Amino acid sequence: MAAVKRPLALALLRLFAVQGSYNYERMLGVGVGVAEEPLLRDLDDGKYRPAVARGAHFFNSHPYLVGLAVGAAARAEHDGAPPDQIERLREALCGPLGSLGDRLIWAGWLPLLSGLTLAAVALGAGWIAVAAFLVVYNIGHVALRWWALKAGWTHGTRVSVALHHPVLQKAGALLGPAMAFAVGAALPLTAAYLSAPFESWARVALSIVAALSFLGFRLRGDRLNGLRLSLALAALALVVGVIWQ
Amino acid sequence: MILPLELLIALVVWGTFVGVDLVSLPQMMIARPLVAGTVAGAILGDIPTGLKLGIVFELLQYDILPVGAVRYPEYGPATVAAVATAHASAGVLGLGLGALVGLVTGLFGGLTINLLRRVNSRIIHNAAARLESGDPSALVRVHVGGLLRDALRAAVVTVFGLVLAWLARPLLGGVLSVRGAVLLAVAVVGTALAAGAAGTLRLVGRGPNLAWFAAGLAGGIAATIWLR
Repeated sequence: MAAVKRPLALALLRLFAVQGSYNYERMLGVGVGVAEEPLLRDLDDGKYRPAVARGAHFFNSHPYLVGLAVGAAARAEHDGAPPDQIERLREALCGPLGSLGDRLIWAGWLPLLSGLTLAAVALGAGWIAVAAFLVVYNIGHVALRWWALKAGWTHGTRVSVALHHPVLQKAGALLGPAMAFAVGAALPLTAAYLSAPFESWARVALSIVAALSFLGFRLRGDRLNGLRLSLALAALALVVGVIWQ
Repeated sequence: MILPLELLIALVVWGTFVGVDLVSLPQMMIARPLVAGTVAGAILGDIPTGLKLGIVFELLQYDILPVGAVRYPEYGPATVAAVATAHASAGVLGLGLGALVGLVTGLFGGLTINLLRRVNSRIIHNAAARLESGDPSALVRVHVGGLLRDALRAAVVTVFGLVLAWLARPLLGGVLSVRGAVLLAVAVVGTALAAGAAGTLRLVGRGPNLAWFAAGLAGGIAATIWLR
């Protein structure tokens, strides 16, 4: 058992840097190969190098769930699965791991905690709310990475079983509404917090800018984004501000 | 903005950690503007300014869903530069100038991320034969090279932002009227609030979560009125 634990711990550590060489050719592939390598060290000489090379092929998914593919592919190599089956397994995992991770983390856990933190800061909690965000977020983050690697290593080519884990299904069902409620509540509180130093005319102007910008994002979301519109309006405000002494 | 050398070094180091955290290592969300801004504020002994600018850029961050190889601005080091700018100018002028410096830095940071990915692609393409041989040391070398390039990139973006912060006050502070400074702050804060709302609605969609969003919004409005 201890003989397996050390390579798994090493693979987990390397998974934190899985996107270190992110690129448009293999995406996360090289990082996946680096993370998988400790789990392949006890393979025979003839199997080790081809397995390492396969591990570094194209791969793309959510970074927190990559461990599932790393563990599953390494287990399949140990079980003597044919190379083309391992390649197919990796290909098959890209889409589901990407969409599951995006739904659970980028559209759930992260905005939920960010919304709660925004509301807490607006209500006067200060830096403690930010520290709590970091701690709570990373409890979920590290737990998910560790679970993914262990589940992949346990199930091997039958890793799809892990994707139907009831906790994942329940988390997916709960995080969406919780995130929507938390960010919805945070927005007016944040608006009040940010507009507190403004005079009344500036608050009216702020409401108008926010409403028109929101309409712009809803109607022309394909062309407009926050950065472009902010820069354009800031440039306009600068010109007016220099003229209007 | 004139800061002691040790504070400047601390800001560059922090901005570099923040920039690396965004994609490369370890993605623990110190790259979120709220965290990046608060710590930058703490370094400067001005946490309230860090929190305020952190919130502005956190709202803009809602506009971004980092899926696939999508391109996006980098608001982490941008928030560090924004806080450094705002710390040097009091009140609403600081908020407006800080946000402007942060936006330009965020744009620059996004461009460097795209450039880095192209450079990584070329290096990995050139190393294809060694990678296909299954040589683990070649694999690790290519990967660690990518990490180091990202650290260098993040440091360059932070320094770029701090140079802008240094230039902002003498270049714009003198010519901008008080009303102009307020307008600048209004423009950025208004757009950030709109980006936060529109970005959240994109995540929420038209399904049952929309009702939860509406309920949260109503609760937030009620709490805001009650607390006034």
